Amino acid sequence: MTASPDPSQTELAADNAPSRTLAIATHDLSKHFGQRKAVDGLTISIPVGTIAGFIGPNGAGKTTTIRLLLGLVRPSAGSATILGQPLTHPERYLPRVGALVEAPAFYPSLSGRTNLEVLAHLGGYPRSRVGQLLELVELSDRAKDPVRKYSQGMKQRLGVAMALLPDPELLILDEPANGLDPLGIIQMRDLLRHLRDQGKTIFLSSHLLGELEQVTDWLVMLNLGKALFSGPARELLNRRGELVVEAEEATQLDLVASIASAAGYTVTPDNGSLRIACPLDFSSELNRHAREAGATRIIIRAKEASLEERFLALLKGEHQ
Amino acid sequence: MRRAFRSELLKFRRWSVLAGSGVMILSTAFIAYLTFHQITSGATGSEITPLIQAFPTSQGLITVVGQARSLIIVIALIMVTSNIAAEWSQGTLRNLLVREPRRLRLLSGKMLALVLFVIISAALTLAISAALLLSAAHAQGISTAAWTSSEGMRTFLALFGNEVLCLVGISLLGMLIAVLARSVGAAVGIALAYVLVPEGVIAMVWQEGSKWFPVRVLNFLPGSTLPSAVGPTPPQGYPVALLVALLWMVGFVVVSAVVFRRQDINA
Repeated sequence: MTASPDPSQTELAADNAPSRTLAIATHDLSKHFGQRKAVDGLTISIPVGTIAGFIGPNGAGKTTTIRLLLGLVRPSAGSATILGQPLTHPERYLPRVGALVEAPAFYPSLSGRTNLEVLAHLGGYPRSRVGQLLELVELSDRAKDPVRKYSQGMKQRLGVAMALLPDPELLILDEPANGLDPLGIIQMRDLLRHLRDQGKTIFLSSHLLGELEQVTDWLVMLNLGKALFSGPARELLNRRGELVVEAEEATQLDLVASIASAAGYTVTPDNGSLRIACPLDFSSELNRHAREAGATRIIIRAKEASLEERFLALLKGEHQ
Repeated sequence: MRRAFRSELLKFRRWSVLAGSGVMILSTAFIAYLTFHQITSGATGSEITPLIQAFPTSQGLITVVGQARSLIIVIALIMVTSNIAAEWSQGTLRNLLVREPRRLRLLSGKMLALVLFVIISAALTLAISAALLLSAAHAQGISTAAWTSSEGMRTFLALFGNEVLCLVGISLLGMLIAVLARSVGAAVGIALAYVLVPEGVIAMVWQEGSKWFPVRVLNFLPGSTLPSAVGPTPPQGYPVALLVALLWMVGFVVVSAVVFRRQDINA
């Protein structure tokens, strides 16, 4: 058994991604608050038309990154383009961006409808859009109630309606499922997929990794203000799964174990089988070497790592 | 800026905003009526003597109505300061800036609406107080011919015009405090502390220097329309006071604009 290859290296698969139009591209983007580096040389790319999950532990710099992208805070260094426009000119891209930052904030004594109308007036959108969105998030029947009487889930849905006001090309959502019940989460998931199918790009920050795993096709993983990974979600999940090898004869398993160990992967015996932590595409190479070594009667099954497992593995690597 | 202005108008439906206006109207009317009652009931004293002397003249109405001017200033300052600072405290500023990232346009539109609201509130306040005093005078058979004469109307309009100038300046001061403090509690606290300490206590012991302080200078403008014994009349003269008041206003606008444009919005 040997140590697996060091996963702590920043994995920026986006750099190798095929050239596509990017909704968001940052280069060495940094934001310092005094001595504290909230965002530290962040380089990420998010292609147009994807649902990009944005994950990281508390204090990783997710919200600061979102605020940077929305022009709410000024970068200390680095650059970025959003929908092809430079970060330094938010007025050029924000009319095409919808955002929900942290907990949705509203005027509590105004109704849900008036809260949306305030922003519709400000953005220059027709009032009819407000009614459509209230319908979409199923708040029409409570639209005249003051927001202070709304539940957390209702406020969250109103926040999503607020983000959708400009019919955005890029939607930036910070924890949109907060406070939603299971049905609300399912509806949110369907809504996000529906929006993606319309060609919109969604940048979605969430702690619900299982939920992200179901909807995202792109992932950005952040820790201590730096990107641990930025690339296709499938690539991350495939990159470090687990191969389970079964054989009737122990000698065949020993051969497989030595091949996997020699390749630098961790091998764990498990009740008459082997578990090898490695990229899933290692299976064909393992199979070939095993046959060459005489282990011809083995069964190899690939088991994808969950997003949670990958997240923890990357964080562990970062802290080692 | 027009969109920001229209957007801000919608927010005036909030009870807290309307309450500020209501308090201004009611408290001013109450103080005006109390002053009227003191004068007509034969009260004596060095403080009321100038009011009694001005009462039957064309400046009588504005002298009595003007007794609550300091209160109007304080209420207007709190209204503007709390309204702007609440955008930070409630976190709604980030929503506004995502929809209107040109910050100066947003602030200008917002201020235009707020100043308009303050002026309308002040106009209603003066009109309602004046109507109350006229009714009370008629009820007691007191002649109001001098108050409603053309000279009386002219002095009333002069008071209103200068009150508007004063309230514009006060609103701009409120904007500056809110932009710097970025929270309702802190902003209102600073605004009140400023009015009480530098403009109140320090002014009492350092009159020569304090005549240039912003709230004091702004208060001189409507004060100049009242009898000199009632005042406060500007010791530096009206034109100089007006110029200094305008300079203060420009200063408030410039500092607010520079700070707000560069500020990180973490609320």
